[in-house]
Amino acid sequence: MQQEQLQRLQQLLGEQDYIADRSIVMSVYLAMTLRKPLLIEGPAGVGKTEIAKVMARALDTDLIRLQCYEGLDANMALYEWNYQRQLLHLKLDENSTRSLEDREASIFGEQFLLKRPLLQALTHPKAPVLLIDELDRADEEFEAFLLEILSEWQITIPEIGSIRAEEPPYVILTGNRTRELSDAVRRRCFYLWIDYPPYEKELSIVRNKVPDVDAELAGQMCRFMELVRQQKLEKIPGVAETLDWARALAVLHQDHLEPSMVEETLGLIFKDRNDVRLVRESLTDFLGRLGIQAKEMKTAEESPTAAN
Amino acid sequence: MLPDSSLIEIPSSKRKSETRFDDLALRREFSANVVGFCRWLRQQGSNVSAPEQMDALKALDAIDLLEEEDFYWSLRTTLAKSNREQEIFDEHFRRFWYVWDKADQLSFRDEEETEAPTVIIDDRPRKQKHLTINDWLNNADQASEEQEAAGYSPFEVVTERDFSDFFAQDLDEVARLINEIGKSLAVRFSRRTKASRQRGPLDLRRTMRSSLRRGGELLDLAHRERKRQKLKLVLLCDVSKSMDLYSRFLIQFLYAFQSVYRRIETFVFSTSLHRVTEILQTEDLEEALNLMSVTVPDWSGGTKIGESFGEFVEQYALSLLDPGTVVLIISDGWDTGDVDLLGESMRIMKSRSRSVIWLNPLMGNPDYRPSTQGMQAALPYIDILASAHNLSSLRRLVRQLAKVQRGRQLRIDMTPRYGTLSVRSDMLL
Repeated sequence: MQQEQLQRLQQLLGEQDYIADRSIVMSVYLAMTLRKPLLIEGPAGVGKTEIAKVMARALDTDLIRLQCYEGLDANMALYEWNYQRQLLHLKLDENSTRSLEDREASIFGEQFLLKRPLLQALTHPKAPVLLIDELDRADEEFEAFLLEILSEWQITIPEIGSIRAEEPPYVILTGNRTRELSDAVRRRCFYLWIDYPPYEKELSIVRNKVPDVDAELAGQMCRFMELVRQQKLEKIPGVAETLDWARALAVLHQDHLEPSMVEETLGLIFKDRNDVRLVRESLTDFLGRLGIQAKEMKTAEESPTAAN
Repeated sequence: MLPDSSLIEIPSSKRKSETRFDDLALRREFSANVVGFCRWLRQQGSNVSAPEQMDALKALDAIDLLEEEDFYWSLRTTLAKSNREQEIFDEHFRRFWYVWDKADQLSFRDEEETEAPTVIIDDRPRKQKHLTINDWLNNADQASEEQEAAGYSPFEVVTERDFSDFFAQDLDEVARLINEIGKSLAVRFSRRTKASRQRGPLDLRRTMRSSLRRGGELLDLAHRERKRQKLKLVLLCDVSKSMDLYSRFLIQFLYAFQSVYRRIETFVFSTSLHRVTEILQTEDLEEALNLMSVTVPDWSGGTKIGESFGEFVEQYALSLLDPGTVVLIISDGWDTGDVDLLGESMRIMKSRSRSVIWLNPLMGNPDYRPSTQGMQAALPYIDILASAHNLSSLRRLVRQLAKVQRGRQLRIDMTPRYGTLSVRSDMLL
């Protein structure tokens, strides 16, 4: 049973083409089995969100996602009343002889309630996977509120009463470390750190996802990515950028990294103006370190391949 | 020593293939080892709590213990909750559980205990006492005798006097004044931000509620008050010899109204950077500053601003800087280090924070121009360049901070009073 589950997880994660490290498999498996929230941290673009999808598939349940942002508060995450419907209802009910209290009670029923992700997760018939994405973007107050929900799985709506989850959801929280999460959150969760994949892994991801890409080119690209990730950049490119780049170069029928082509496609990899500038300035150096010669040398050497 | 419930029950399915865990005594021993490992991690500075210890035991119950790799990842995901803790974990996992490599039994606790607990000896060179602030603190007793006789200047005079001009015996009094001014300003500060509230978006919930009283007719629109986010402060304080005193007063001043801020992170630097937030939180401020100046190596040494800021950007910028954070630097800009690195670090700090304020006590001198190489490299990225050499300049600083809090355009204060400048960087270039 236990081995089966582990194998299935490994397989599902593998299908996602991202990473099927044993560390990831174990963390997800334990979070599922012991029903603990799993906090996943790591740079952007390494596939943190995908893990929640995999978990939902492994459990054969729905995925409910709460995207955090600056200024997110409890109301927006829990529930809201459907005011338009309430107004309409009151208008239609205008001439009735019902008392004020009656009318008030009627518009605060469950049919006027708009469930936001947290309440949805709480009231879902089958325990769903709740993905709380980029928690570090919300503020500390929201974090505290969330901690309360995570421990109680019960909320009170003044007009309706207490709602308690029959079966608490499986929770995955992610963070990009734009802000340090509180220790209280960390202590309550299992923890997984995902880094950029090492060269071999990234290469196999690229070859898997972009089968048309030339083998030599893919190798050079991944080496290039490995190198630029060590530079001090504003936004370090993730696996998603490598894949975009690979697709582009495959469409352009490239079979090796051509300096001029790299320069023209830098915008696909780097999403910050300063980064593009920085990399362009030291491009010759980078490519040199990868054993890719400057243009003149290359063209001379290139003719035999062109003849092929 | 353990409650029985925390013993690991090995599922029967595994028993037929493996006899290792059949023995109840061994199982008990194993749980005890996990607990021992948790304690060991705590001693190494990891924050493992009791519930996490239980998590680890439960996790081990859910896996195949014979898979060494799974054992490792299970303990890691349940016990190490940050990068730092993962480092500690990785460093000590092998050391603690090394019998996996060589022994065929799990009873190794005794063996381990005789060897493991190493006392960490802090053999960093202790700084010699130096003149400036330490002298003042250490000679406090002698000074207090003279104090009555010496007396101190009337308030107005005190507020205008450069901190470095005070006699050692007056500094206690200055510290007290700073604290008082800080506190009274804190009150005004919060009132100011309240008064400038704007109308926020419609609050449908309240609007609906009030309309019910009128039979559903919408007469009054309720507005949601815009939530005002408290600012966070990051202090980078130069504690090289020339700056020690100013930094000290600034820290003291800002902590007097720390309730106004969501969070204050404090770093000191001279030739390298040190995070002192925790020291400042746990101790009495006076005590803490004293302790700090003794324990932080190269306190009152030379200055390498570039290297120090570079370190800040590399290690902390990501986690500490965001659009709600003000970076406050106090330094005279005399740099003996890497000037390019200084400029680059400043650029990153500027791009990641709400605003960058540089306090330079030398600005107290009307003839001063920020012409040192370090200041020149930093200038393009400074929003406010001001002095902080006396009490009234600290008071003006609070006014500037209140403006930043309200999100207003930073106003250029071109009417320098008391010979202090408070201008934006491009005005000086």
